[in-house]
Amino acid sequence: MTDQLGALTTIFTEFYYWVTVVLMFLIHVGFCMYEVGASRYKHHQHTLMKNTMLIPLVTVTWFFFGWWIYWAFPTGPGIAPSIMNESTALITDESTFSAKWYLANSEFMAINLGDHISGVFWAAFLLFSWTAASIVSGAIIERITTFAFGILAIAIGSCFWVIDAAWGWHFDGWMLKILGYHDAYASGVIHAIAGGFALGVLMVLGPRIGKFSSSGEPRNIGPRNPWLVTVGLFLIYTGFWGFYAACNIPIFDLGPEYGMEGVTYWTATNIYVTPTTLSGITFNFLMSLSGGLLAGYVIAKGDPFWTYSSGLAGVICASAGNDLYHPIQAMIIGMIGVVIAYKLHYWVERKFKIDDAVGAVAVHGYAGFVGLVICGFVLNGYPSSGYSVGAMWDGSTYATINPLGQFLGAIIMFVVLGLIPGYIIAKVLNGMGKLRIPREVEIAGLDYEMMEEAKKDERAVSSATR
Amino acid sequence: MATVTNWIDHLSADEVVGAVYPGAGSTETLLVILGIVIWIGWHVITNKSESEELSRLSRKRHGANDHKSNITDW
Repeated sequence: MTDQLGALTTIFTEFYYWVTVVLMFLIHVGFCMYEVGASRYKHHQHTLMKNTMLIPLVTVTWFFFGWWIYWAFPTGPGIAPSIMNESTALITDESTFSAKWYLANSEFMAINLGDHISGVFWAAFLLFSWTAASIVSGAIIERITTFAFGILAIAIGSCFWVIDAAWGWHFDGWMLKILGYHDAYASGVIHAIAGGFALGVLMVLGPRIGKFSSSGEPRNIGPRNPWLVTVGLFLIYTGFWGFYAACNIPIFDLGPEYGMEGVTYWTATNIYVTPTTLSGITFNFLMSLSGGLLAGYVIAKGDPFWTYSSGLAGVICASAGNDLYHPIQAMIIGMIGVVIAYKLHYWVERKFKIDDAVGAVAVHGYAGFVGLVICGFVLNGYPSSGYSVGAMWDGSTYATINPLGQFLGAIIMFVVLGLIPGYIIAKVLNGMGKLRIPREVEIAGLDYEMMEEAKKDERAVSSATR
Repeated sequence: MATVTNWIDHLSADEVVGAVYPGAGSTETLLVILGIVIWIGWHVITNKSESEELSRLSRKRHGANDHKSNITDW
């Protein structure tokens, strides 16, 4: 960095992403509190440790191969050529945005005086990965082994979600080009896929003992600590601010980027490098949160657990198009998503005996899916990319946003990259006898031994001080 | 092992080398292999200990009301 303006832009961008990472850490703190609050006393400590250990597992695998996948896979491979090298192969050449620079042994995957962005951008995406894995974690509490969850967390956090991000959350992704896919703040690429993955695992894992009566009627196993759940969800809301900011590029000159001769246009952009403003998405974040809360309060008849979750579902549903929606559109879309997610949750629970302990499949999966479909109608005709005009390998343009493309995109996220891999991996783990804890342990509590040891210790201390 | 021994010389070179960590340019692949061994090893060790713990607990013949006393005294 030798000129002051260039240095200022670079250091600002570096610091911007760093702040978003710190803010997004609160999402994970929130998920941990939420899960512990929702679990029963006898499982508390194992529930907490399960969600905590996904942090190192997803982080190291994200370093080893997850980040590389994002940059290598936008073409499919074999589906649509890259606009950078016109090849359908994995992008591992010498081009600027090649995955080659993000191999774990690359000099850019470390402190490098010539690169101020890779580490913070890597970390921002990593925090999205934690979120994807943590969404799955909540649904399956109290009966999965830590080993199985670790494998599933790596699969969703460092593999499947990042394939969908390369396909549909990348300026060069084939889903933008062919389907006109648009998902600015990840209704699908994080939430729908994680919800679908969780559903696939739940289909194999089965319900908690006692969740359903012998006649098949579901019993309510409500949160054991509603205050921890409340604070947890508020923290997730807070972290979500950071997430929205992290999905943007904070400062970018679109003139030369779009090949507009003599035009300079500095702006924030979304992940597709199309213009938006941090100010505008702040309107929409709050209005969709409010829409979700309003609808959730009514439909759940004031139940705090669902009302708080509905705020989150409202944001998730509107997120696909929150870079362009009017705030009142965002609010209404949030409300629609909540009603559908809530109704679907109970219908699926009764019909298929699926025990989603925290409503994660509904809040993230169904709301995300619905949000993608609605986005296809409301933003029908908008360009899916700023590189539209003549940018394709054959001189044509990227597809525009459209209802069919968004619906197919939702299927790819929820079913193809979410539900099916989750189901298959859970089946394999189950076949190995590694998926579910023994019945006796589930009844006595995962923390049984820990608690008995603690009681012994305390008795020893008490008798020594008499 | 030190990649930089004099910052003034390093930063005033015609082309500043960005990678400044110890062993830059020669140890990265080895470090990645080491990291992967640690990662896989962690799974192996924790899987073994978790399996042992679960099978020990499941042999204890818990009563239906065991969980009620499964709360510490303080």
